[in-house]
This record gives sequence, C-alpha cells and structure tokens, in this order.
Amino acid sequence: MGLEEDNKKIEESMRETARKLLEDKEVDAVIGYTEGTLPMSSMAMVITRAEDVDKLIWNNYCYINLATYLVPRIAQLVDPEKGDLKVGVISKGCVGRAIIHLKVEGQLNLDNVKIIGIPCNGIIDRKRIEKEIGQKEILEVSTSGNEIIVKGRDFEEKFAFDEYILNVCKQCKVKSPPNVDDACVGECQEIESVSDDYSDLAEFEALSAEEKWNHITELLEQCTKCHACREACPMCYCNLCFVDQNKPIWFGKTTDLSDIIVFHLIRSIHLVGRCVACGACTSVCPMGIDLNLLIRKVERIAKDRFDFTSGLSSKVMPPMMDFSMNDSQEFMLEED
Amino acid sequence: MSEKILNKDQIGKFYNEFSDYNFYAPVNEKGNILFKKISNPDEIVLDFLNSKIPPKSVLFPNKEILFEYEYEGKDVIIKERDDLDEKYVLFGVRPCDAYSFQLMANFFSFHGNCEDEIYLKKKENTLIIGMGCNTPKQTCFCTSVGGNPFKKEDSDIFLVDLGEKYLVEAISDKGKELIQKMSWLADATNADKQKAKELAKKAEEMITTQIDAEKINNILDENFKHPIWKEVAESCVGCGTCAFLCPTCTCFDVIEEHDHYTNKGKRIRIWDTCQAPLYSMETSGHNPRPTKIERCRNRIMHKFSYYPKNYDLTGCVGCGRCVSYCPANNDLRSILKEIEQIES
Repeated sequence: MGLEEDNKKIEESMRETARKLLEDKEVDAVIGYTEGTLPMSSMAMVITRAEDVDKLIWNNYCYINLATYLVPRIAQLVDPEKGDLKVGVISKGCVGRAIIHLKVEGQLNLDNVKIIGIPCNGIIDRKRIEKEIGQKEILEVSTSGNEIIVKGRDFEEKFAFDEYILNVCKQCKVKSPPNVDDACVGECQEIESVSDDYSDLAEFEALSAEEKWNHITELLEQCTKCHACREACPMCYCNLCFVDQNKPIWFGKTTDLSDIIVFHLIRSIHLVGRCVACGACTSVCPMGIDLNLLIRKVERIAKDRFDFTSGLSSKVMPPMMDFSMNDSQEFMLEED
Repeated sequence: MSEKILNKDQIGKFYNEFSDYNFYAPVNEKGNILFKKISNPDEIVLDFLNSKIPPKSVLFPNKEILFEYEYEGKDVIIKERDDLDEKYVLFGVRPCDAYSFQLMANFFSFHGNCEDEIYLKKKENTLIIGMGCNTPKQTCFCTSVGGNPFKKEDSDIFLVDLGEKYLVEAISDKGKELIQKMSWLADATNADKQKAKELAKKAEEMITTQIDAEKINNILDENFKHPIWKEVAESCVGCGTCAFLCPTCTCFDVIEEHDHYTNKGKRIRIWDTCQAPLYSMETSGHNPRPTKIERCRNRIMHKFSYYPKNYDLTGCVGCGRCVSYCPANNDLRSILKEIEQIES
C-alpha cells in the first residue's frame, strides 16, 4: 500500500476516535496536527468541538512531539475555573511514550490525558531534504507510492521514503503507543520491552576518544543557542534550565564552542533513560544539526546498563529515579 | 555615474580591490549559507536565495566583547575595544538585509539619545555591496514593509545578477569613489540595463504576500488584550529561532566572564530573545510576561506597533526567515493576516 493511502487511513480513524471522544465528552479538547503553511510542515492545533475534527491531519511531516504542550500546560488546555482540561492527544508511538514517561516523572495525571494512538509510518527528515535540494526553493511536496516528490521552480526531485525518514524512525520499534493504564484509545499495542542492536552506532563507537570529540565538535559547531531543540523536547520541561541559571552561573551562555558543547552534552546526559526518540530536536533545528547521534547514544546507555526503555510502562522506575543494590558500579574504586 | 559590468569570472579581481577591508561574503557551510570573513574569493557562493543567519551577525555578532578589565590592587583597568576602526565590506547582501542595518542603527542610537558606539562605529566603517533578489521566496513580503527586491538605496554598491555577469551601480559617495578606481570595469550597455529592469519587474511580481502594515499598527493599538494572542501562542514552542534569524532583532543580554585566578574579566553581550521567560524576569521574581501568550504578543507588537511609534518605520523587513524556519510553523504571514481581520 502506498503512503498516501496509508496516511488517509490513519487520518480517518484518528478523526473518528477524536470525534467520538469529544462527542461523548470524555475529553474537553484534542491536541493534534493540522495542515502547515509551508511544504514539509505541519502545525500543532487544539480543537474543542467535534465538528472541527476534520481540521486534524496526519502526514509524514508531523514532527513535533505534542506531549511538549502538556508540560507545562499551554493556556488552551487549562480552564480558568475547572483547572486542567481533559485532553486527548493524537499520539504516534513516541508521543505516547513521552506522555507515559511524563506520568512516571509525576508531571501529569493520566486521568486527564487520553492517548489517541495512531500507527506512525515514519517522519521525513525535512532538514536533510532541504540540504540536498540546496539553494532552490521547495514549493510543493507530495508522496506517491514510496517516493517523496519535491518540486520547485524548474526542478523536480524524488527521494526514497525509506531512506529519507529520520534516523530515529528507521530504528523505531514502537510505532504505535504502548497501552498503559487504559490511557490509550485508537491504535495501541502491548509492548513491554524492545530489542535493538544499535548497529547504527557502531561506526561512532569505534572511534578513538579524540576522534569522537572531533566528530561531536564538527556536528555542533553551528549551533546558535536558540534552544529550539530544548523547547521542542517533551522531556525538557524544567522551569529553569541549567544553562539559564544565573545564581550561580554554572555554564557559559555564549556561542563559544566550549559553551555549545557543554550545553548539548549535559542536555544529553539529562535525557538518559528519558529520551523517547521522537527526533523533534533534529526536525526543528534551524541550522539543520542532526542530533540523532546523541539521542541514540543516550538511549543505548539506558538500555545496556539498566535494560530500560523510556515510556513503555507506568510502573517501572527509570534508572535516574531509582536505586538498587545490584546496580552496576564498576566505576567505583575498590578499597584495599 | 553610469553603470558598469562585472563578469562573474572577475570576482577574484573585484575582491582584490578590497585588500584593506575585512571581506565578508556568503559561504556555504554544511548546507547553510552564512556571511563569513573570507580570504579566498573562491569561497563566495554566488547562487543563493538568502543567507540563513542574516548579515547582522557581522556587525552584531552572537557573542561580542564590550570591554575587558583587570584589577590592579583596588583599581580597575578597563581595556576598551581597539579594533573599531577596522573596515568591513559585506558582499552579496539582499536588499531586505541591507535595509535592516538602518533599522538596527535606529535602535542602537535611539534618536542620538543613547548611542552604542561599538555598533555605530562598525556600521560607519562598513561598505554594503547589495545584490538584487531575482527570485524572492514565497515567504518574502519586503514590498509591504518599505522594501523591494531591487531596492538599492541601502547599499553602497548594488549588483544585479544578469546570468554570466553583474550590472554594477555605485549608489553612495563611498561606493562611487571605489567603483571609479576600478577602471577595468566595462561600461554597461543599454541592453544590460534593460535586462536588469526586466528582472526587477519580474521579481516584484513574484512577491505574492501583501500585508497592510499601517492598518496592523492601528489595530494593534486597540487590541492588546484580544483573544487572538492566545491563538498566536498556541503552537509556539517558545524557542528563539525567530529572533536569532531576524535581521532586525537587536536584543542582547550582558554577561560577565570573570577569571577569579587572574582577576581579569570580560564584559560580553550575547543575543537574547523576548521569547525566553528569563528575558523579562525581574529581580523580585515577578515576570510581566509570564507565558508564551504575552511573549508572542510582544514580538509582534515590537515589530509592528512599538517600533513604528519610535521610528516611524515598520520594524520588520519582510525577509521571511522566521516564517521559513519556525520550528512550529507559526507563520508570521498568517498571524498578520488574522490581525488585519480584527474589527476595529
């Protein structure tokens, strides 16, 4: 089946579920995606009336992780009198995982959230396509069969869908949300653990320490510190990010290479066992920095050391929130 | 002074005429077009739509040292910048960005009441070589905010891309003096000038977004508390992309890098954005713009209401960067269209 039919099917069943939830007053609002104003874009949207469900869309540019609007709640999801509204969230696998993990971290009440599950078929790496098209304006993008067709003034190029989806999507094992605590309606799955050989990381891991450093430097050097990656990240919900703190100032705030690297590496460390591999950080970066490497690496650390994958269960405590006497601690020096 | 012709294979020769300048030009770094100081004319990218980061980054870099200091006993020795007499040339600046320097200079001088010496001196020592925009993007709307894809007035020298060659026009006295010295430049023919005119006409027709900045300014006056702001902020993720890629955003934060071991330090300014909660946080802990709603409103208000009131010009040049690169596709064009619809 081609992508178009796939998307149509996902869209129709998602609208149906949303309509039913709104009509039955099971939720007060639904947050989903709507048509963007540019090629290869989409926009987040909150609807509160069943007749608006047709504004919701699904395509392979729905790259924002909608859970990011839940913590802290955007104004549209809070009623001045009633407090937190009950919200249905159109959820591809990683959005569902984010919601579940936010629940585990005590950031939201699953009684107030309905995960409207959809079987995600992959998000296109728009930054990569933009880069390959180069200094020509993309005016129209469509999909046909398994191809992405990009058109502009005097050009038309085709890209293979399987090749041009985000790297995290290529590795994704959780396409539709896990069904946890009956918070999920629509397309969900029972999934307790995933297996992954992380073969895509082999090349990076084989590098020497110095080569790794150079690789990361090269990767991050264009960062402008606009913090789009942080703001789009559903797990970066701190009221005051470590990098913004000024009493005392922990880290430099400039765009010196050292300050840039410190920001990204510490942010990655903060995401160990928390990152849900949605790839939103990569999709939103205005400079086209591919943060996939850092995402995959932190995911692997949590998996290898603690056999933990974020957002699959509301019961299992994540490694950074838990402690066990059996925890591997080979870094501790033995006392003689 | 009549127009000249610069063949594209003569760019190296043209570059050599500016040996006493810091030469900044669009280069391609990892797929991003950026204005960088070059030392080899082959690095210049001639075929580009517009740079990702505007050339404001040359005169107002993301990080800039204001002064350095050092303690000697109880005395503080201030070391002021000694590089402000350096000369800059910006090659290949699009008319929207060339115009933006004027808007920025307004902010950095505030009618002569509060002059930022660093920015203004640098600007004075900068020569802008503008380049007409043959193919404006769908996201461009310069013609609605005091610009035009072929507006030359803000450049010292203006180039029009005629394919294999550029039509060169000296605009300012500085520009005229320089072009006069380049006796090797051929004179433009009438056909060249005619072609440039046609390109200008075609480019202007390609700009389809029209906004009524004056009407918007009036509407904004009355609608500080309109529900539209909640709508505008709905999908915003709250990052600083729009501000950092904006050629007219001038806000900065001042930080201190002090080395306690040597007792030396630097006072630095870095780009800041009104979209960050910390930007408007007061010492008391009170934040007058506590949510994205107030912060998104401020950005629009600043460009289309406050700036026009202070300087009689719209504070946006219509380059469309915030439209193209907003992570959440929060499209300024649609926001302005919606504001236009508010009944007054």
